[in-house]
Amino acid sequence: MSFREKSAWVTLVAILLVSAMYVFHVPRVFAPSHWALAALAVSLAAFIVIELVAWLVLRLRHPAEARTPKDELEKLIELKALRIATYVYVAASFLAVFITLHHLHGSATMMGASVLLAFIVAEIVNYTARIVYYRRHA
Amino acid sequence: MTKIVIANHIRRLRFEHREMTQQELAEKIGVSRQTVNAIETGKYWPSLEVAFRIAEVFGRRVDEVFEYSRGGRK
Repeated sequence: MSFREKSAWVTLVAILLVSAMYVFHVPRVFAPSHWALAALAVSLAAFIVIELVAWLVLRLRHPAEARTPKDELEKLIELKALRIATYVYVAASFLAVFITLHHLHGSATMMGASVLLAFIVAEIVNYTARIVYYRRHA
Repeated sequence: MTKIVIANHIRRLRFEHREMTQQELAEKIGVSRQTVNAIETGKYWPSLEVAFRIAEVFGRRVDEVFEYSRGGRK
């Protein structure tokens, strides 16, 4: 497994972990409005810490590969995955806004949370697609 | 539509060059070992730039490393 693929795995797992943590806080998020920001800030901080630690560990284990810039296949894989993720983000955002407005009598907090959820789903798709493409070319 | 097939002789050429490993070839042409493997097994067709670099490493012309042919219908 290449360094980039391992990095993609790390990011995917970090997103899933942090998302699970965020969703766990959702019931409280919609009580007083400041909870939304607090949960978001904690999740973001946790994501950065997990990514940083994992990146350092990977870099120590694969120093040569970590220093090498991305080659053309790796760039192509990232672009292909990003294209799929962009479609997912646009579709999920519209769906999230529609559902929030028409079925959940959308407040600003709910609207923000639903668009954020769409972004998280798109990122999960992005990194999953990268891993699938890396596996196909392995 | 006719399917295009691009075969290559990288594996044979590596062995003819003192059993050069994929990692050594990757370092010489500036890509990852996984990319060399993908090119060698026909899972990925490289850019012209990489194709020329591979040919240069083996001291061959590009058409001696890569072979273009029209296969069956898609």
